[in-house]
Amino acid sequence: MTEQRQERIIDEVEALRWLDDGMTVAIGEPAPMALLRHIVRLGICDLTVIGGGLALDLLIAGGCVKKVISYYAGGGLGVPVAPSFRRAAEAGKLEIWECEEGILTSGLEAAGKGLPYLPWRGGVGTSLPEINPDLKLITDPINGEPLIAVPAIKPDITLLHAAVSDAYGNVQHCGGPGWIDLFLYRAAARTIVQVEKLISNEEIRSNPWATTIGRADGVVRMPYGAHPFYSRGYYVQDAAFVGDYFSASAADDSELERFLTHYCHEPQTHADYLERIGIKRLLGLYEY
Amino acid sequence: MTENCSAQELMAVFLARDFVDGEQLQVGIGLPVPEAAVRLAHIMHGPNMELVFLGARMNVAHLAYLPLPKFGWDRRVVRWTESFSDRGHRFDQVKDWGQRVFFIGGIQVDPYGNTNLIGIGDDYHRLKFRGPGSVGTPTLTTHVGRYYIVLNSHTARTFVPRCDFISTVGWGEGGADARAKLCLPGGGPKYCVTPLCVMNFSEDEKRMRLKSLHPGVTVDEVQSNTGFELLIPDEVPQTALPTEEELSILRTRVDRTGLLRND
Repeated sequence: MTEQRQERIIDEVEALRWLDDGMTVAIGEPAPMALLRHIVRLGICDLTVIGGGLALDLLIAGGCVKKVISYYAGGGLGVPVAPSFRRAAEAGKLEIWECEEGILTSGLEAAGKGLPYLPWRGGVGTSLPEINPDLKLITDPINGEPLIAVPAIKPDITLLHAAVSDAYGNVQHCGGPGWIDLFLYRAAARTIVQVEKLISNEEIRSNPWATTIGRADGVVRMPYGAHPFYSRGYYVQDAAFVGDYFSASAADDSELERFLTHYCHEPQTHADYLERIGIKRLLGLYEY
Repeated sequence: MTENCSAQELMAVFLARDFVDGEQLQVGIGLPVPEAAVRLAHIMHGPNMELVFLGARMNVAHLAYLPLPKFGWDRRVVRWTESFSDRGHRFDQVKDWGQRVFFIGGIQVDPYGNTNLIGIGDDYHRLKFRGPGSVGTPTLTTHVGRYYIVLNSHTARTFVPRCDFISTVGWGEGGADARAKLCLPGGGPKYCVTPLCVMNFSEDEKRMRLKSLHPGVTVDEVQSNTGFELLIPDEVPQTALPTEEELSILRTRVDRTGLLRND
């Protein structure tokens, strides 16, 4: 007799044992904020991060990031450029692998397909190949057109947030996968998914077509784990909190430090964090 | 600024009138004027238009009020969405983007409609101002049928002889064949719209040319706020004012909170 099928449920502490200083980490949509806060708390550093917006800015503010693979580092309307990203970039403290969405997905797809590169047209004629020498301008061998060869982008670990999973890493998103989550999953050496709920294997098998990620390496139960972002089927974005973060990030160091201390360093667990946010605020994030 | 509306409202109405029913209008992040313009056109004359916000494709002309989708992809946007045009297979159908209309901003724009979202400075590794990055604009502007450059301010800091870095190619180094030489299939920028005026691109040289002035704005004012020489036709008309109906719909069904009246 062989042993039983191995479960893939891990906790937040175990999840980040898989992560070392200097690794390349990809962040999905919505961002798996509970895991990211834990990265800040542990002080993991010198990461290369594939991501954008508040999630990227928080990791930079927390001192975790050496390099970004970046297509967009704004924070939406009213926050044209994420403040900590901007400060670090202008001070020359951040390496930037400049790209854009089509180039990023091409590089991830190349990694997933085991190819050294894939060609892409968006970016031809722009400064991107000059300021990112890894992007090679090539002449396509079929029609002789100018294209960009995007080298494979290989995350060491992809961190995602989704609705549910069973114990074996069969993940189902509510309403389909997030933005480029599947590209990030297919390209990465390992993927950890934090989920709102763990459900039974029978429930997964009752609708296997809904399984978006068949083999997550680890799943972590994190109810409200995407806060302050939304989680489809569970809660909407906490826009006020996102605004508060960007205000702190744009303010002086002491205000940002206070924010990081209060929300990342002091809460020892995800449950501690949720207590800080408060039940009334969380319940206010209902679907409509 | 004008007799009956703000500059941003005028910009939205100008854009709205330029869209044709049946078109697919895609708006990215943080562009309130295009967001309002596509929704106004949808209500006014575009029952078959499809609005695409961050890949969420919707037809919502029947709604009494079209709220701004500023919540990412949460339920408040998803409930009006019929499909996610790029989700999971992102950018796998660019061959059909000739039907699509798109909008971009920029921290710099040059005379040929090339734009910059990357940063300002001589040395890329020590930028004086670090911009947000290109998002998906290089790919979108490469393929869409046409796009509009929409700016919230018109200054010589934005309109520069050469962009420090180019994130989207308009008409490259100029000339009607500029895009064809790079094998870029999309139709390129049609208009550049600012709080002062509307500009288009000359037919042969594809250089920026004044098309119309918003009420109360002079040619000198535009030229002195533009860091390169604009082509100025002999006659420059005034940008047409919104009708009462357009303004009423804009203010009651699109922009109830007055986002476009804060200038």
